[in-house]
Amino acid sequence: MSEGYEPKILMFACNWCSYAAADLAGTSRMKVPHNIRIVRVMCSGRVDPQLIIEAFTSGADGVLVTGCRIGDCHYIEGNYKTLRRIILLKKALEQLGIESERLRLEWIAASDAKRFVEIAVDTVERLRKLGPLKRHFDELSRVIEEVRGIE
Amino acid sequence: MSEEVRVGVYICHCGTNIAGTVDVEEVTRYASTLPGVVIARSYIFMCSEPGQQLIKDDIVKYKLNRVVVAACSPALHELTFRRAVEEAGLNPYLFEMVNIREHNSWVHPDKVQATEKAKDLVRMAVAKAIELKPLEDIKVEVNKSALVVGGGIAGLAAALYLARMGFMVHLVERKPTLGGHTARIPFITYLGVRGDELVESYVKALMAMPNVKIYVNSDVVLLEGGAGAFKARIRMRPRYVSAKCNLCGECEKVCPVEVPNEYEYGLVRRKAIFLPFEKAYPLLYAIDMEACTRCGACVNVCPVEAIDLEETEKHEDVTVGVVILATGFDPYEPEREEFGYKLSDRVLTLFQIQRLLDERGPTKGEIVVNGKIPKTIVFIACVGSMGVGRKAGRYCSRMCCSTIMSCALKIRERIPDSTVFIIGRDIRTYGYEEDLYWKALEGDVRFVRYDEWPEVRVTTEGSIEVLVRDVTVGEYLLIPADLLVLGVGASPGKYLKEVLKVIRVGCGDEGFVREAHLKLRPVEAPTEGIYVAGAVTGPKSVVESITHGMAAASRASSILSKDYVSAEPMIAMVNEDLCSGCLVCIGMCPYNAITTKTLDGRRVARVNPIVCMGCGTCVAACPSGAMQQQGLEDRILLAQIRAFSR
Amino acid sequence: MSKVNVAFYWMASCGGCEEAQVDAITDDFSVLNVLNVVFWPVALDFKREDVERMPDKSIDIALINGGVRLSEHVEMAKLLRRKAKIVIAYGACSSWGGVPGLGNLYTREDIFSRVYSEVPTLKERGVRPQPKYVTEEGIELELPEVLPLLLPLNAIIEVDYYIPGCPPTPETTLNAIKALLEGKLPPKGSVLGASSRTLCEECPLNKTKPDKVLVVGYRRIYNTKVDSEKCLLVQGIPCLGPLTRGGCKALCPQAAAPCVGCYGPLETHVDYGMKALSYIASILDVRPDESEVKRVLDEGIPDPVGLIYKFTLPTSRLRMSFRKKA
Repeated sequence: MSEGYEPKILMFACNWCSYAAADLAGTSRMKVPHNIRIVRVMCSGRVDPQLIIEAFTSGADGVLVTGCRIGDCHYIEGNYKTLRRIILLKKALEQLGIESERLRLEWIAASDAKRFVEIAVDTVERLRKLGPLKRHFDELSRVIEEVRGIE
Repeated sequence: MSEEVRVGVYICHCGTNIAGTVDVEEVTRYASTLPGVVIARSYIFMCSEPGQQLIKDDIVKYKLNRVVVAACSPALHELTFRRAVEEAGLNPYLFEMVNIREHNSWVHPDKVQATEKAKDLVRMAVAKAIELKPLEDIKVEVNKSALVVGGGIAGLAAALYLARMGFMVHLVERKPTLGGHTARIPFITYLGVRGDELVESYVKALMAMPNVKIYVNSDVVLLEGGAGAFKARIRMRPRYVSAKCNLCGECEKVCPVEVPNEYEYGLVRRKAIFLPFEKAYPLLYAIDMEACTRCGACVNVCPVEAIDLEETEKHEDVTVGVVILATGFDPYEPEREEFGYKLSDRVLTLFQIQRLLDERGPTKGEIVVNGKIPKTIVFIACVGSMGVGRKAGRYCSRMCCSTIMSCALKIRERIPDSTVFIIGRDIRTYGYEEDLYWKALEGDVRFVRYDEWPEVRVTTEGSIEVLVRDVTVGEYLLIPADLLVLGVGASPGKYLKEVLKVIRVGCGDEGFVREAHLKLRPVEAPTEGIYVAGAVTGPKSVVESITHGMAAASRASSILSKDYVSAEPMIAMVNEDLCSGCLVCIGMCPYNAITTKTLDGRRVARVNPIVCMGCGTCVAACPSGAMQQQGLEDRILLAQIRAFSR
Repeated sequence: MSKVNVAFYWMASCGGCEEAQVDAITDDFSVLNVLNVVFWPVALDFKREDVERMPDKSIDIALINGGVRLSEHVEMAKLLRRKAKIVIAYGACSSWGGVPGLGNLYTREDIFSRVYSEVPTLKERGVRPQPKYVTEEGIELELPEVLPLLLPLNAIIEVDYYIPGCPPTPETTLNAIKALLEGKLPPKGSVLGASSRTLCEECPLNKTKPDKVLVVGYRRIYNTKVDSEKCLLVQGIPCLGPLTRGGCKALCPQAAAPCVGCYGPLETHVDYGMKALSYIASILDVRPDESEVKRVLDEGIPDPVGLIYKFTLPTSRLRMSFRKKA
């Protein structure tokens, strides 16, 4: 992988658990890799696969979907649906030639800042090894431009 | 968008908390270059009065119709800024707050990276803000009544205090009598009263109030709605014995069925038709239909025809403004053979020994085991708590040490030549209860401290030996016991899981109900309008349960005392033009907030705005995109996501 | 009414749209009589040169079906765009790529390799299409180049309207053509002739649904018994009716076959396949244990992309598989 490649990660965080865990990591002045940009939702159940695919096409090398632990969802079962969607989406991503490890689902309790940091560090490491996703989209754009140029 | 979007962006220094790491001036410059932004500023403390005034002045001066503040976590000040924006005449939901402190300056030491990230986050927030539309809070009229689920001491305290505040109270209790475990405690330490008399004082006070309705033998089978307007269905199971009952007891004499008496913790048995205890409320017999064989013998002998075996259950629907969950606990039930449990009549639990010691109990306070007065009595503390026991919780059950101490003292008093051992991991007679510990020491009670679980040996004749390693001395002791009392603590109520299917609050790892926040929001469930009180949240003494109950009543009154409550409008909404009535959304909602209605001959989905809690799960699942979440519509999130890269 | 100049053109097409067009316009002679067909490779002998000679914008309506898979398609699409006032993407393939769009899961070389080298019935192996070839007699022959992927029409030219379906039903086709002839048109870029809502509204099985639409697993119609009187989705058969545009009157579900999505997306769909994936996964009511969910999905939906993107892969956000080339 190219030197100095820093993967860019879009993280969906639920207001009650994972967003709060990220806040706690801040309050506790933990060191967190800088690669993550958080999009806040009320519940991980709001995360529509359309939004995830949009993240990939908008420049994210990896997408982290986070929420409350199973059984602890503030809205009771929102995360059950998230789990089902992500599992099916990972299957589809593999078929579409996108490494399914680029999409990661983690449950993080509001008090678990430590786990948030561990997941962040680990995700950045794994994505570094996978390389940028951008080159696929660049290739796609190039091919389409070429096709469009045919007279 | 027909109107021009004019965004104001405010970057907070937060003293040096943000500015020490992030180049706030650079971020501000960058923000001013973003499409839609007409003014971008930074200020040392945006949340301060002058900081807020800066925003308000700009809204007027620059005719801003969107505001973005990049500062600390929205968990802290989102509400502050929404109010400020509203005061300046702008809809509070045209505001977006982005976290560049907890998520950025406080966790990324590299200044360049932190500044770049701040720019990215601001760019995403501005893109999101542009898509926001004005929203109105949802106003719910508050129904000034309360539903208290659980008629133990916490529920009684909560119900009484709510009633005294003037609110209508529906008190629902599963058993045929009020009082819970408190009513079966002969002496409550520190208060120095009998449990059943304490309960009686609450019940009498409640009965004197016209605005209290008590349902015994009942449970809540349905709960819908939200704070201010809950709809509950109360199932009133048949007692089979009416108020005509004159307590003559003839029915009991002829009943052929005997089962363990739960009001004596299985120490003795009762008939299928029974009177719970002397001070039960209501003081009537009841039939335990699971034990009853319907032989009809009781019906034949009842002189007042109070028994009707064909009585059916009834339902009542009530509307209330708040719900208090106070369903208590149940004692830890050791498994058979665990510490000798059920292997001998000489092994009792702490709850059983209290019944034995009760002067109004089944033995009138006489301590007799197998026809003999025990001389060596051993208590093993912490059974079921502190990790001691096969299904033990890791928590301390708080009240058992004090209770063991009281029981030990009573035994020493009544059997002067007895030898009492208390084998414990720790002695936690906290607060004023410490006094009991000293009395016990002075009363010649022997204390043994253990770490490894004691081993209980029961011979075939039923005699007992306890082998324990005394940590202080470092030696093993073998203690023959005439009576062994397992100092069991509290476990989550055995019906709790069932209750939680209806009243949806979460549990902690140990199975007790979790309060929203131990420090900031005790006695509250995360769901607004639902409160939790007493041992349902974890082991508590009687005094603590009463305090908890009163606290819950007090918190609940903060809703009941208002005429309206406002709910945040980030709820699901159906675009009826687009909805094809596929019904996928309905199965997604855990609150059953979605139903259908007919529109121009078509079936479309309909969201109840009061019940919807705004999770957005149905929105993500909606196949046609007709269901959207106000304030978090697809187009809003997409705008934020699409701004991810420069 | 004066005659209207109409052109039909087919790109990577199965021929079904052609039959559908004939079906439709011969259903209603009032429409047929108004049409002056100036170009129709499958039926009439007009050549490309004839089109090149027409003045710009002299064709009133050009209906193009099939996906863009050859260089010739690109050339013809651009030509027709110049020569026509209104260009319609007719059918699923030109609108979103259609079934041939699933070819985008493979590289061009993968496809050639399979077709020209690996298929067991080949007589000669290893041949590849040659863009230029000179015969012994010195005659230059040309074959259009096969593009690296299949694209929908709107990736090449601006499309005015879409007529959805695989193929569009006669009713949808006539609704659209009549709207065009009468000039009663929605904003440019809209879908013509079909519903503005999804299929469940038209499907007679919709009213048999229970209160909650939840399944415990998925199955296919070929290996299980299907109750033709009940909603197929509720029976665990993945039906895309809830998210597919209506207008076909739910022909397939009424024959106990699940909707596979040939009438395509609504305007609200950012990525049709992803939205399909969302609700198909959401309604699976199994306990929230990762291995259990995976097991049930592996069993019931072995080919997610084939299910969700059967007609729309080239128009999805990813458009194709990003597999490394073989």
